Amino acid sequence: MTTIAPPTTPTSPAATGRRGPRWAWYAVLAIGLAIGLFSFGYQLTAGLEVTGLTNTVTWGLYIVLFMFLVGVSAGGLIVVAGSELVGSHRLDSLNLLAVIVSGTAVAAAAVSIIPDLGRPFMAWQMMVSPQVMSPLVWDMVVISVYLAIAGIDLWILTRPKPMAKWLRVMAMVTLPVAVLVHSITAWIFGFLVARPFWNTAILAPLFISSALVSGTAFVLVVAWIVRRVTSWRPPHHVFADLGKLLAWFVAVDFFLLVAELVTAFTSQTDYHLAPLEMLFTGRQAPLFWGQLVFGVLLPFLVYANPRLRSRTKLLVAAAVLSILGVFAKRVNILMPGMYEPQINLPPGQSGNATGQAFTLDLLYVPTWVEYGVVIGIGAFAATLITLGVRRWVLPQAGSDDAVVEEQEDREP
Amino acid sequence: MRDDDVLGALLAGDDPNEGRAATVERTSAIEALPPASREWGEIDARSDSPRWGMLVDTERCIGCWSCAVICRSENDVALGMWWNRILTGGDDLDTPSVDEHGQMSMDWLPLACQHCDDAPCEKVCPTAATYTNDEGVVLVDVDKCIGCRYCMAACPYGVRVFNWGEPEKATGVEEGMVHARPVGTVEKCSLCVHRLAEGQEPSCVVSCPAQARIFGDLNAADSHINRLIQDRGGDQLLETKGTEPKVRYLPPRRRRSL
Repeated sequence: MTTIAPPTTPTSPAATGRRGPRWAWYAVLAIGLAIGLFSFGYQLTAGLEVTGLTNTVTWGLYIVLFMFLVGVSAGGLIVVAGSELVGSHRLDSLNLLAVIVSGTAVAAAAVSIIPDLGRPFMAWQMMVSPQVMSPLVWDMVVISVYLAIAGIDLWILTRPKPMAKWLRVMAMVTLPVAVLVHSITAWIFGFLVARPFWNTAILAPLFISSALVSGTAFVLVVAWIVRRVTSWRPPHHVFADLGKLLAWFVAVDFFLLVAELVTAFTSQTDYHLAPLEMLFTGRQAPLFWGQLVFGVLLPFLVYANPRLRSRTKLLVAAAVLSILGVFAKRVNILMPGMYEPQINLPPGQSGNATGQAFTLDLLYVPTWVEYGVVIGIGAFAATLITLGVRRWVLPQAGSDDAVVEEQEDREP
Repeated sequence: MRDDDVLGALLAGDDPNEGRAATVERTSAIEALPPASREWGEIDARSDSPRWGMLVDTERCIGCWSCAVICRSENDVALGMWWNRILTGGDDLDTPSVDEHGQMSMDWLPLACQHCDDAPCEKVCPTAATYTNDEGVVLVDVDKCIGCRYCMAACPYGVRVFNWGEPEKATGVEEGMVHARPVGTVEKCSLCVHRLAEGQEPSCVVSCPAQARIFGDLNAADSHINRLIQDRGGDQLLETKGTEPKVRYLPPRRRRSL
């Protein structure tokens, strides 16, 4: 895929509208949604005891997914707003797709918090009885605003007449809100004095940098897939452009992580060291070192080298690694915080099931229910992107008949 | 506050609780059932606006778990959940801890909600389900709890427990003095707020065979708890977290050495 394709290629197989693969993809989405609904329904009837969560590890995969999806939502809107504000138009062809991806990610993030609630049907209490000191309430507000911004951006971009002025106004609104949405999501964790590993000022910047990495990488991957399976043809340089951006984002993200780890490590106090030991040599070590090598180092080498990043398939592979790496990083932020309670004396805390003995160090392993719900949310996001691409992106590519097929579900 | 002639009323066939229900404050978290008759555990001197606190004398604690067990039946705590646990400094409940000089000792840390003045759980609760009542007791209003477990992440003491599944009871029936909490909500020690409303001490206090728990009004200068705090101090757990617990611990004056 290194050759620059003309805007529309009537001879390409995608544009001829093969029905089979398209319906196969829809079937995959439907099955994914069904798995998600079934798992969530089962969890609703049985309670959260069918998850791997316990009274010690009270937050798990759902919250990781929430953090991750909020992060992914950064990519699109920041690509649009950022390049608008610096006056660059190199990525303009990605605007529509980027906004669809962002809107989808933030919608999926909002959805992903629901299965984590013990009583989802009581969630309206957050509207009628909000406690304004709670970062969770702030997050609800800012995520709603973010979703609205994605909607307005989408509306502006799909007008028949270009509305450049309004796009610029929106960009000025979008960037501060984007910074807020990631900061507030970070502060949900960062404000807790009970969790030294989270209770650090760097968490908000770190969430923003991770969001930029995963968000940009996600836009890159989706753009590549859509380009492969449809007649949509962005200018070829956009991929390398995104790769160049990613080099910076990955570097900053890595720097902030190192700054935090070094500061915590040199303190040599127990409550800073305990989570670090878990990362360096303990339970999270494989995921931690794996994340650094495969999620940071390898992709960075591709992004930073102009020759390597011009090879689109390699670039996409690096972006997939980055996405997985950021997901692993979310896990590595959440778990040490949860695993290391401040008061951790025998016999420990009870688990989540009747008759379960006290345990000092209970391993959190997600159950099939949690994986099922995550698959469902992934399918939900993929459905929104598929529909959005068919409805808005492809008509602009000049072919209503194009096929979206085998668009891989990239949610880990 | 307390009807002194409970026994006489019972003998006469009257309902000793008549007219008393009106004095029960609405404690939406733990909705009080009709108050039972109780003859012991009357609260020590209290001021007009009490601020309840507890002192745990670790020198007296023998690690018997009586307080933990009575807490379960008093508050109808479901199987697999504990509002009150007795932690130990040793490797296990029945093993002593050993210091660097090889000296062995048995230590226990009875742990339940610390009823912080600056409660981290209350600050993060998105629906104000966790609140502090007028008497300084941190409570959970189950009607508002959406089960997000943010409070559990915020609590430095790890004393909150969640109804992961349908609450199961050993006897299969509601057995406590308060209503059971529904699945999907967080619960914790309420300082037996339903008993406080009756002028009674929490059940862990009255049940302690070693009298290691001292309960009282921190606002009343001459209360037993305040006199003890003045005499012997009283440590707050994780004091540096700035949560200002109203539960304090008296350190042992001598080691229980083996």
